[in-house]
Amino acid sequence: MKHTFAFTALAAIMAVAIPAKAETLVFSSWGGTTQDAQKAAWANPYTEKTGLQVVQDGPTDYGKLKAMVEANQVTWDVVDVEGDYAAQAGKNGLLEKLDFSVIDKSKLDPRFVTDYSVGSFYYSFVIGCNADAVAACPKTWADLFDTAKFPGKRTFYKWSAPGVIEAALLADGVAADKLYPLDLDRAFKKLDTIKSEIIWWSGGAQSQQLLASAEAPFGSLWNGRMTALAKSGVNAETSWEQNITAADSLVVPKGAPNLEAAMKFIAVATSAEPQAALAKATGYAPINLESAKLMDPETAKTLPDRQTASQVNADMSYWAENRDAIGERWYAWQAK
Amino acid sequence: MSTYSDASSVSAPAPRALRPTGFSGVVPALAFVAIFFIVPVAALLLRSVLEPVPGFGNYAELLGSATYLKIFANTFIVSGLVTAISLLIGFPVAWALAIMPGRLASVIFAILLLSMWTNLLARTYAWMVLLQRTGLINKMLMGMGLINQPLPLVNNLTGVTIGMTYIMLPFIILPLYGVIKKIDPAILQAAALCGASLWQCLTRVLLPLAVPGMAAGALMVFVMSLGYFVTPSLLGGTANMMLAELIAQFVQSLVNWGMGGAAALVLLVVTLSLYVVQLRFFGSQNTGGR
Repeated sequence: MKHTFAFTALAAIMAVAIPAKAETLVFSSWGGTTQDAQKAAWANPYTEKTGLQVVQDGPTDYGKLKAMVEANQVTWDVVDVEGDYAAQAGKNGLLEKLDFSVIDKSKLDPRFVTDYSVGSFYYSFVIGCNADAVAACPKTWADLFDTAKFPGKRTFYKWSAPGVIEAALLADGVAADKLYPLDLDRAFKKLDTIKSEIIWWSGGAQSQQLLASAEAPFGSLWNGRMTALAKSGVNAETSWEQNITAADSLVVPKGAPNLEAAMKFIAVATSAEPQAALAKATGYAPINLESAKLMDPETAKTLPDRQTASQVNADMSYWAENRDAIGERWYAWQAK
Repeated sequence: MSTYSDASSVSAPAPRALRPTGFSGVVPALAFVAIFFIVPVAALLLRSVLEPVPGFGNYAELLGSATYLKIFANTFIVSGLVTAISLLIGFPVAWALAIMPGRLASVIFAILLLSMWTNLLARTYAWMVLLQRTGLINKMLMGMGLINQPLPLVNNLTGVTIGMTYIMLPFIILPLYGVIKKIDPAILQAAALCGASLWQCLTRVLLPLAVPGMAAGALMVFVMSLGYFVTPSLLGGTANMMLAELIAQFVQSLVNWGMGGAAALVLLVVTLSLYVVQLRFFGSQNTGGR
């Protein structure tokens, strides 16, 4: 008798709990200040508009995402991922197609829109330098790879992703419009010349720490981190020469429990005002083409979308196609 | 995963009266082990021979590539180094703890435990700050005029070894302390009365008696080091990558679970073999004799 009661009670709780769960939406991103900004700029207006709560989760983990989809136990509705991963995951059937009758893509930067993903924000790999720690700051990728002119440690992004290989090829004199398909042999040969001088950063905070402490006085950093460093009082100098752009993307894992709410969330997140608010908070560029008008000119000036004169776009579809092969070579080379 | 199996070698078996008798008493424990350990390991094993294509291709690639073999070698070198240094530093500390007055010992224990309870990432970052080119240690050495150029203490083997040894020390001091504390001081007194020098007391009486504690502590530190991720990843360079980071790359970055599973299983097999060896040589002393 007791058991029956407990069982009924449990069933009742579950019956109440399940619809309650449908009222929320789970958003996963990379944590830190960027996710805080996403929460303020996107989730809060979304909740105001729809009355739905947004639960923040993370960090994003591609292994976890794949496990969720394969086990049909998806707990994330909207996920912030890197652009090349989004293109690959879409092709591999891990993502839901986006509903562009809900998401207005006419205002979005077409470089960052696919059937399965839209840009989240976009950033540039720039040449950053702690001007107090060195006699002169490198201005170009060729400078950054020139250990005779610029002796000392330099820092680069540790993971296999668009950015470092492109920088090596540009430094070696490859024209920006001739980068793809990437000449990996040439890139690794160029990277070999500075390998002993590289300190790798694996997260944004670490890149800031390395530069600020002059452990590595210069290197390739996300532009938003340079903005933050400059704000914190470090004499941080940024060179936008051939800044290499890549974007984060918003995707919906296949089998996400709150599909409709997810589409609505993405619609809000990519609309002009929330995009402008995020850009203001992070120093990364909005992917909504109308956001720039909503920002004060001082902030807008520091964003990658004002640095298009010598901008190099990383080719996400090339990376999606070759992500695995490059990755394996990349890590093998690093460990050598 | 391996540290759980370790624990069983340290704890003494329960008195007979407290043990559940018959098969039914074991069922919950067996079910727990099956659900939380055997099933996931089996799934991993299956993935490693099924993905991306069925066969032993992943193992062939893993064991046939110079890069991956180098990572295996690195893993063992770093773990061995950390274990050896931990023993060297840990033994005198454990000995001192065992013979010092209780109140002082408890203060030192509190320090040990506090350091263990402090967030691992915070401790690792703290080492990064201490060891870097412009860090406290280099500044101090340069200020004293001992060196002209900052020493490369981090992002290399030195950094990993220092950081990991620091984190592993409590794991070797605690079991050693337990064993040394149990040694009857009268034995040492007897040795001294019979004319043994301090050195002889140490090498011929204390050390042999402490061997089970050293073995248990060393195995624990070695096995934990084999699977260590955070500290080597932050304080090491890519040239001394360890196995755990390789597995993380396969799983998270390359999303290649076949290779990740294969690497994880190689690690598991090595760990279990070490455990078996330890049981074979030191097991009877650890569990108080059979």
